[in-house]
Amino acid sequence: MHDLTQLLLNGLSTGAVYALFALGYTLVFSVLGVINFAHGAVFTLGAYFTYFLIGGAAGANGLLAGLQLPFALPFWLALPLAGLGAAAVALLIERTAFAPLRQRSADPLLALITSLGAGVVLVNLIQLLVGAESYAIPTGALAGLPAAVRLGGAQVRSVQLLLLLVATVLLSLLTLWIDGTRSGKGLRAVSEDPTTARLLGIPSDRMIQIAFGLSGFLAGIAGGLVGLSVSIAGPYFGIGYGLKGLGVLVLGGLGSVPGAVLGGLIIGLAEACVPADLSGYRDVVAYGFLFVVLLVRPQGLLGRVLPSKV
Amino acid sequence: MHTPRPLRPLPLALALLALAGSVASCRGQRGDQLRLGAGIALTGNAGLLGQDARTGLDLARQRFAQEAPQLELQLEDTGSDEAGATVAFRRLINAKPVAIVGPSLSQQGFAVMPMADRARIPVIGVSTTAEGIPQIGPFVARVASPVTVVAPRSLAKAVQLNPGIRRVAVFFAQDDVFCTSETRIFQRAIRAKGLELVAVQRTSVQDTDFQIPITNVLRSRPQLVVISALVSDGGNLVRQLRELGYTGPIVAGNGLNTPNIYPVCQRHCDGLMITQAYNPSLENASNRTLLAAFRKGRAADAVPPQVTAQAYAAYQVVHEALATLKGTLPKGASLNSLPLPELRQRLLKTLLAGTYQTPLGELRFSPDGEVLQREFSVARVSMAADGRSGRFVLLP
Repeated sequence: MHDLTQLLLNGLSTGAVYALFALGYTLVFSVLGVINFAHGAVFTLGAYFTYFLIGGAAGANGLLAGLQLPFALPFWLALPLAGLGAAAVALLIERTAFAPLRQRSADPLLALITSLGAGVVLVNLIQLLVGAESYAIPTGALAGLPAAVRLGGAQVRSVQLLLLLVATVLLSLLTLWIDGTRSGKGLRAVSEDPTTARLLGIPSDRMIQIAFGLSGFLAGIAGGLVGLSVSIAGPYFGIGYGLKGLGVLVLGGLGSVPGAVLGGLIIGLAEACVPADLSGYRDVVAYGFLFVVLLVRPQGLLGRVLPSKV
Repeated sequence: MHTPRPLRPLPLALALLALAGSVASCRGQRGDQLRLGAGIALTGNAGLLGQDARTGLDLARQRFAQEAPQLELQLEDTGSDEAGATVAFRRLINAKPVAIVGPSLSQQGFAVMPMADRARIPVIGVSTTAEGIPQIGPFVARVASPVTVVAPRSLAKAVQLNPGIRRVAVFFAQDDVFCTSETRIFQRAIRAKGLELVAVQRTSVQDTDFQIPITNVLRSRPQLVVISALVSDGGNLVRQLRELGYTGPIVAGNGLNTPNIYPVCQRHCDGLMITQAYNPSLENASNRTLLAAFRKGRAADAVPPQVTAQAYAAYQVVHEALATLKGTLPKGASLNSLPLPELRQRLLKTLLAGTYQTPLGELRFSPDGEVLQREFSVARVSMAADGRSGRFVLLP
C-alpha cells in the first residue's frame, strides 16, 4: 500500500511538471497549428527570472558577473512576476518569429525553424549574460515548510507537492477561462478555424497573442518551480523538459488542453512504474509507451481526427 | 586619355588586413613561440568542470609567460558532448599545435583523443580519469590519476569512520563513461570489503529530478550511499537524498569534486566525502605559486578546485618538457627549427621521461602515458551556515 502511494505521488508530481510544460505547447499549437520550439528557452528564462527576483546574484562567468537586483522578493511574489516576465518574452517571440511569417502567409512549418532559432538565441543570450554555471534558488525559499512530508506512508518533498498544487490550480483556472469566458471561447474559435473566427469578428491576432502570453506565463511558472525543486543547471536545462513536453503533447493529442494534462500524468506515472534497477531507462519506457499509443491512436489519446478537405 | 582608376577603400583595407595577418602569423612561428591547444568544456553540463580547468590554464599561462619557450594558448570550447568535442579538436588539430590539453570528460576523451593520436599530436588529459584513457594510443597521456587509484580511498575512509556500515546503495549516471567506469571500481571495492550492495540505481547526467530513484533506494535502508555522477545531476541527487530523509554518509566520485557543487546541493553538500588528487596545503614551490595566483582577487583563504590544479599541472608539464627538450638542442637552435612532427614526437618522449614538481605533488608517467602520482587524501565537504559557501576539509 505504501509502495502504491509512493508510486502515485512520484508519478503525479513528475507528471504535473510535464503537463504544465506541455500546456504551453498546446496553447500555441491550438491557435497556430505549429509547435513553438522556443518554449523550452522561455521555461529556462522563468527559472532565471525567479532566481534574480529573490535576490540571487549572477556568477563570475557572464557579462553580468556579480550583478544583483537592489531588492529581494519572497518566492511567492517572485514566481508570478517571473511568469509575467516569461510571458513578455513569449510575446516578443510571437512578434519576431511568428507574426512576420503569418503576415506573409508563409507555410506554418517555417515557423518551426524561426521558433527554434529564437530558442537558440535566447539560450545563448542567457549563457552570454550569466554564464553556464548552475544557479540554485535557496532551499530556504519555502520558509516554514519542511523539506519533505510523509503522506500515507510515502515520502515526498514539499516542493514537489507545491508543484503539484500549483499545476492543479493553474490547469483548473485555464480550463475555467477557456470554457467560461468570452476571450476563452474566442481562443477556441480561432483554434477551430481562424478564418471563420475572423469573419465572425473575433480578433485572431489578439487571440494568438493571448495564447503566447499564457503559454509564456505557464512556462515561466513551471521554470521557477522546477528551478526551486532541482536548481537551474545552466542555460540548457529546459531542453530535457522541452523534449518530454513534446512527447506529452503528442500523446495527449495535438492542441488538446485536457490531453496535455492527461498525457503529462500518464508519462509521469509510467516513469514512476519503472523498476528500481532499471530507472536509468525511464525515458525508454515513457517514449515506448508513447510509440505504442500512437500506433493504436495516431491522433493521440484525446486528439481529434481532422477531416481532410478536398 | 587614360584616367587612373580611383582606389577602392574596402578591397585595399582587406588586402592590408590580410598582409598584416600573414606578418603576424610569421612572427608567431619565429623563435620558440609554439602553440598549445586546449579543448575543454565551457558550456553544457560539464561547463563548470571546464571553467575550473580554464582558470588553471590561465594561471599557468601567466606563470610561465616570461619563461622560454613561449606558449600561445589556443582555447576551444568542446561543449559537454562528443560532437562538440570533435568539432573543437578538429579545429585545434588544424591549428598545428605542439600538443593539446583536454578534453574535460572521459566520454569525450574516447571520441577525440584518437583523433589527436592519429595526427600524432601529444594530448594530455586534465580530468579524464576513466579506465583505458592512456591506452587509446601512444600519443595519449593524462595528469589526472585514474579512477581505479582514486575511487576506493573515499569508500575506505567512510567505512573506517563508520565501522557499523553493512548496507550500501549505489547511484551512477549510466550515460557517462567516466561514471560507469568509476561505479565499477566502487562496486568492486564495496564487495571486496564484504559489504552488502542493497541497491544499484542507474541515472542520467541529464536528470535533475531524483524523487523516483531515491524513494526506491531508501526502501532498502542503506547505511552508506555512493554516487558516481557529474556536478549538476550529482549535486541535485545529494540535495534530494537529504531532503527525502537520508541521514547517513555519502561518498561521491570525482565528478562532484569541485566547489561548483555548493550552489546545487547547498547546505545538503555538508558531509560529502570525496578523494582528492589535489591537496591545497601541499608544501612545494609550484603549489605555493598556484595558491598565491589563485587568491588574487579572491578570499585570502580561497583554494583552487582540483581540476584547476590539474589543468595548471598539465600546462606546467608540457612547458617543462619543452624547456628540457630545448636544452638538448644545439646551442642557439630554436624548437621551431625542428619539423613539427619531429618536435611533437620528441616532446612526447621527453614528457613521459620527466619528473615534475607540480601543485599535485611529484608527477611521473608510465611509458603508456599513465600518470604516477603519490599524494592523495580524502576530504569532507563542510558548508557554511548560510549554505552558500563551503570548504573541502582534508580528513586525517
